[in-house]
Amino acid sequence: MADNFTDFGIGPMAQPLKMVSKEVVEHMLGWNIPEEHQDLVHEHWRNFPAVSKYWHYCLALIYTMLMVTSLTGNGIVIWIFGTSKSLRSASNMFVINLAVFDLMMMLEMPLLIANSFHQRLLGYQLGCDIYAILGGLSGIGGAITNAVIAFDRYKTISCPLDGRINKIQAALLIAFTWFWALPFTVLPATRVWGKYVPEGFLTTCSFDYFTDDQDTKVFVACIFVWSYCIPMSLICYFYSQLFGAVRLHERMLQEQAKKMNVKSLASNKEDASRSVEIRIAKVAFTIFFLFVCAWTPYAFVAMTGAFGDRSILTPVATMIPAVCCKIVSCIDPWVYAINHPRYRAELQKRLPWMGVREQDPDSASSGTSVVTANSAQAPAEA
Amino acid sequence: MLDYLALVFVVAVKVFKKTTPNGKVTVYLGKRDFIDHIDYCDPVDGVVVVDTEYLKGRKVYSQLVTTYRYGREEDEVMGVKFSKEMVIGQEQVVPLINAKMELTPVQEKLLKKLGPNAYPFTFNFPEMAPSSVTLQPSEEDQGKPMGVDYCVRTYVAESEDQKSHKRSSVTLAIKKLQHAPTSRGRRLPSSLVSKGFTFSNGKINLEVTLDREIYYHGEKVAANVIVSNNSRKAVRNIRCMVVQHVEITMINSQFSRHVASLESREGCPITPGASLSKTFYLVPLARSNKDIRGVALDGHLKEDDVNLASSTLVAEGKCPADAIGIVVSYSVRVKLNCGTLGGELVTDVPFKLLHPAEGTVERQRFNAMKKMQSIERHRYENSLYTNEEEDNIVFEDFARLRMNEPE
Repeated sequence: MADNFTDFGIGPMAQPLKMVSKEVVEHMLGWNIPEEHQDLVHEHWRNFPAVSKYWHYCLALIYTMLMVTSLTGNGIVIWIFGTSKSLRSASNMFVINLAVFDLMMMLEMPLLIANSFHQRLLGYQLGCDIYAILGGLSGIGGAITNAVIAFDRYKTISCPLDGRINKIQAALLIAFTWFWALPFTVLPATRVWGKYVPEGFLTTCSFDYFTDDQDTKVFVACIFVWSYCIPMSLICYFYSQLFGAVRLHERMLQEQAKKMNVKSLASNKEDASRSVEIRIAKVAFTIFFLFVCAWTPYAFVAMTGAFGDRSILTPVATMIPAVCCKIVSCIDPWVYAINHPRYRAELQKRLPWMGVREQDPDSASSGTSVVTANSAQAPAEA
Repeated sequence: MLDYLALVFVVAVKVFKKTTPNGKVTVYLGKRDFIDHIDYCDPVDGVVVVDTEYLKGRKVYSQLVTTYRYGREEDEVMGVKFSKEMVIGQEQVVPLINAKMELTPVQEKLLKKLGPNAYPFTFNFPEMAPSSVTLQPSEEDQGKPMGVDYCVRTYVAESEDQKSHKRSSVTLAIKKLQHAPTSRGRRLPSSLVSKGFTFSNGKINLEVTLDREIYYHGEKVAANVIVSNNSRKAVRNIRCMVVQHVEITMINSQFSRHVASLESREGCPITPGASLSKTFYLVPLARSNKDIRGVALDGHLKEDDVNLASSTLVAEGKCPADAIGIVVSYSVRVKLNCGTLGGELVTDVPFKLLHPAEGTVERQRFNAMKKMQSIERHRYENSLYTNEEEDNIVFEDFARLRMNEPE
């Protein structure tokens, strides 16, 4: 690959072909795009040799698998949450919303698969815009939906009596997630601010982070804050607040237990109370970690493209973030839905072959919810 | 089994019993409601009858357990449980450890009737133990209602820490309640407030006096309201309501519900210079608040037999803020509407709502009334609990007994 840097001086149009020592004809990236659409391809990509068709097929294969996973996971979530009565709560509307965003991200995948087999972008500017709008809307929307779910959970857990968000508030919050995603999708699509361009293998599209002008740089900085920093800090904030609320409740319960002479607060008790906190911390961390996995690579690539050393952004390297966020969109339904006991119960009822073994939550005994302070042996009173 | 019942019947002792699913262990309790008399609390006294051959060297343990539920089951996300179970008493019942333990009359009778395989057990509630309270769920709420409840759990195990099996364990739901002291007190709660206005002189005075400090469930609360208007505004109407204040100490949150209210325009508007003296009658009843979520009730929900939660009483010398569990209090709130610009004049007069104490005339009247409802009620409970292993007392034998009761 490094050899190709030697061709720097020659204009891009002038040399679509290049002979390499192995006597194999090697094209530079972007060679198969007709001249009238050449302006789609940023200078940067022309420095790399065309990606081998095996890379394209490999990517297509990965995307096919992701598409199937995403379709099943998110599809089942929407189907079950949407149609079963016991799951029709305000909080679950957010999970459905997230699944809708994830499915929208899934819609990118058939486009990419088709592109991969042609080894170029189908539809040029229009195809690029469609692809990028799907990605942008679903990505930013999904990120903020994660934050909204964190907010909802925080409300529910910190005030279990009346904290629950009602359906109207939930609908407003969902509308908010869509409006949140809109500006950075519509503005580049209409070329008001920023634009959509092919990236990586030139079979995918995203917003432009290479153009060397003030506008683009500000755009990249803004989208970085808007769709990465803000949702991430909200997620961190709400989950840490939630964690604090759980700890407070645990402490108050322990105090009450003490007042009732539940004396032996020994190992048993501490372990029990610690485990609740650990469980919360685990779930919160998983969600945070998934968010980081999904969007940090993209943020890194975009920020590097705009402000850093571009030479590290090879076509393969820039495809990694796209795959990352798509993988996470497949995992999301499992993280949010599968640890929902009622969803599992419903899943077992409808799709028994999936082998979900879940006790019906209504019949589950309170014994499961226990944590006990093993009492001091009641000294044979009376 | 029937002859035991016959014996019990002769001496007219009501007993509650429940058997483990495998039929080897049966627990008898003399009552379900245990009264906290502030200075002392009824002990939980019971008897366990066990098939000794079945035990094969294993032991029978009994626990007094309180469960706090402070959030809806369906809202539990991320592995958080909005309920906490605390074992506040644990005893090895079989083999008997303390053979010299003092028996209550019910236990003595039961031991005599039930033969050599019967073993007594006694629990004392911890001094601070909260009263049983159930918060009324709304219609769409599923799962167990929120509140504080108690149960006696008996199980067979090799050792104390060993896990019990569902087949060989049995749980009886009980209630811990508070009754009014025998004397109702002479003090009449009252409150006097006044309101001035920014742009005009003079004040409106409002005085509210209740005819009692302690009311019994079902009694009429009479609030005598005196309004004297020395201001230039007019009082448009008067709202009078009974407010139930519920404090959920385990999560440090509180809310209030209007359990009875009325609005009156009689004698209104009270024009400048005029005054009004009027008595309002309000009856706070659980029946009339069935569709309000969060209203605190005494113990379990039973169709006819439900009453509003009793006021939480605190022993003398103890700070009310030290009370734990769910703390319930009541007040009469009177609101004068002084027009859109004038705003409102509000005052609260606290009172207590309780069951009459054992042995008083009111108590007897109350018991008679309850008795009438009880047969119906137990039938209802049976239909409610037959397929719910968890919950609790099997009333069948008990109901039959009561019908034959010579009283």
